[in-house]
Amino acid sequence: MNIQDNYQKNKKNIFFSKNKDVQNHREKLINIFKNDRFDKKNNESLKNVNLKNFLDFKYKYLVPEETSVINNNNDNTYSIVSVNGQCSNFKDDKIEITKIVEEDYNDFSKNNTIANNDHFVNLNSLFLNCGFKIIIKKNNNIKIKISNIITDDDLTIFQKNNFICEEGSSLNLIEEYENKNNSTLNILNVIKLEKNSQLNHFLIQDNSPNHNLIITSHSSCKKDSTYIQKVYNFSEGYVRNFHFSELIEINSEADLQGIFFLKDNNISNNKTFVKHLAEDCKSNQVYKGILNDRSTATYFSNTHVDQVAQKTEGYQLSKGILLSENASYFSKPELKIYADDVKCSHGSTIGPIDENAIFYLRSRGMSKIAATKILISSFINEELSSIDNDQMSEIIQKKIVRYLSKVK
Amino acid sequence: MFLEINDLSVKIENKNILKNLNLNINKGEVHAIMGPNGSGKSTLANVLAGKEDYEILNGKINFKDNDLFDLNIEERAQEGMFLAFQYPVEIPGVNITPFLHSAINSKKKRMNEDEIDNLSFAKLLKSKASDLGINIDMLKRSVNTGFSGGEKKRYEILQMSILNPDLAILDETDSGLDIDALKIVTDGVNKLKTKDNSFLIITHYQKLLDYIKPDFVHVMVNGSIVKSGGSEIAAEIEKDGFQKFQ
Ligand SMILES: Nc1ncnc2c1ncn2[C@@H]1O[C@H](COP(=O)(O)OP(=O)(O)OP(=O)(O)O)[C@@H](O)[C@H]1O
Ligand SMILES: [Mg+2]
Repeated sequence: MNIQDNYQKNKKNIFFSKNKDVQNHREKLINIFKNDRFDKKNNESLKNVNLKNFLDFKYKYLVPEETSVINNNNDNTYSIVSVNGQCSNFKDDKIEITKIVEEDYNDFSKNNTIANNDHFVNLNSLFLNCGFKIIIKKNNNIKIKISNIITDDDLTIFQKNNFICEEGSSLNLIEEYENKNNSTLNILNVIKLEKNSQLNHFLIQDNSPNHNLIITSHSSCKKDSTYIQKVYNFSEGYVRNFHFSELIEINSEADLQGIFFLKDNNISNNKTFVKHLAEDCKSNQVYKGILNDRSTATYFSNTHVDQVAQKTEGYQLSKGILLSENASYFSKPELKIYADDVKCSHGSTIGPIDENAIFYLRSRGMSKIAATKILISSFINEELSSIDNDQMSEIIQKKIVRYLSKVK
Repeated sequence: MFLEINDLSVKIENKNILKNLNLNINKGEVHAIMGPNGSGKSTLANVLAGKEDYEILNGKINFKDNDLFDLNIEERAQEGMFLAFQYPVEIPGVNITPFLHSAINSKKKRMNEDEIDNLSFAKLLKSKASDLGINIDMLKRSVNTGFSGGEKKRYEILQMSILNPDLAILDETDSGLDIDALKIVTDGVNKLKTKDNSFLIITHYQKLLDYIKPDFVHVMVNGSIVKSGGSEIAAEIEKDGFQKFQ
């Protein structure tokens, strides 16, 4: 079935399909699908993707029976279980959670940072069937943990979430994606940081082989705000991490980092993009991958510096260890600079594990496998030691041990 | 015989490096190898330690009643072989404590001895480090990473004194050391020396052999041992160079 028929058939279950502006936008999206030749060469969103599976899918959504739980432990810590992309409303003097509304959709549809041929984002807008909005109120310091649960096989979840950190607020957000069923979650996080706010955003991804996770985020930072995102991908299913950041006012900062652990025939597609639109802003984009067996990864990073964005500091780094001759990691850093007073750099090192280092460690009596493991751990040592949350550090360590136990 | 190298020929990338080399080392002996640049000294050391890049054309090596070629790299180390590298590898992110601790325990395991716990190992490491004039702060750094040439060499000797090998091969451990460091390092070696362990010392300078007295000195030229004798050979080389051996 083509996209248009698929949409028409399921329209009644899709969010905002009666809204005029939304309808107009979706007509445009349908036209993009109709006219696109799906040229894999010039479209980062299509790299390593089995188009047929993603375009010709069977739409299925179930409204969850149990409403999701929110625990306010009275110590500024909230625990949210999002079921099939839904979360019940909640309000206290520090945070507010509601369903997303038409305005949120229309507001996002105006963004011009994400390419209009990013078909996964377009599918998300077209088939939107869930999502919520969380507002962190002024000057509050909050911790939130969200577990994203999908109840049934074959569900296709298209979710948009909004996170708004009001002036002076600080949010520590941990999101867990650990789905064991045969389903697809296409999620878009729209994140807004008001003046002098801070968001530390951790995403732990650990899905089973039949689960597809397509995650995209778009963050924008106002004056003196900082957005830090750390992605840990241990999934055995397909994962796409595409993360976009706009630094729209002075002295703001975006830090987009990721580590992925791949094996078997797994595929991971990654992209980070930072747009510097104001003076005195900093950005950091660092992805590291460990690839075993026949796994494949891509990483596109991009720093765009507008002509007004003087005194920009932008840094990009991509590193990979290939544990097998059949694994492949393609990385492509890009810089577009239109201002003259900037410090930008990028680097990329991908290759097999250092044989000289292995020889050195073994010559002291360490087994080959132990030497390999110690070198893999050292490769991500910096990222791991910077996790300042004990509980999370422990969770991640366990997953690394699990991955390493399969390395031969 | 403790180490017995018979008629060893070794090739790398279509180049014959070691040619019908013979060398015997008994328990408790100190042997020195001297030879011009490129003569194959480090190649010999690497082949003994088990580096896999080389093609063994012919020859046999016996080490403590084992056919050395039956043992992989770590098994040789666990059997008591140690190579202090000419160019120690920098390994960012790997700290010496856990790595050496796991190394020493794999040796103990092979020898059916009790493993050393964390605390005792940390103590051992600290005391050996202070013997060798190594700053405790350096133990917190990643293996060899950003170390000066001399620091790397001391660090090799620290590892040697912890692992307490039966056969230690020192590949130009003296080069890069200042005179005080040379004294400290050679003291460390002499302290370790017993009637049960052996040393193979590769050097360009007689100076080192003033501190560590060799029982035998061998001259290696173009992949073979061309002359063997006592310390008088070192003096000869110091005076006249390698010309007359070639
Ligand atoms: N990987 C390699 N590929 C090609 N040639 C090599 C390789 N490794 C060593 N060689 C060559 O083998 C020869 C012996 O090298 P080796 O390092 O053993 O010399 P050496 O006696 O230790 O010299 P030095 O005193 O300078 O340390 C040299 O000519 C060297 O270029
Ligand atoms: Mg050498």
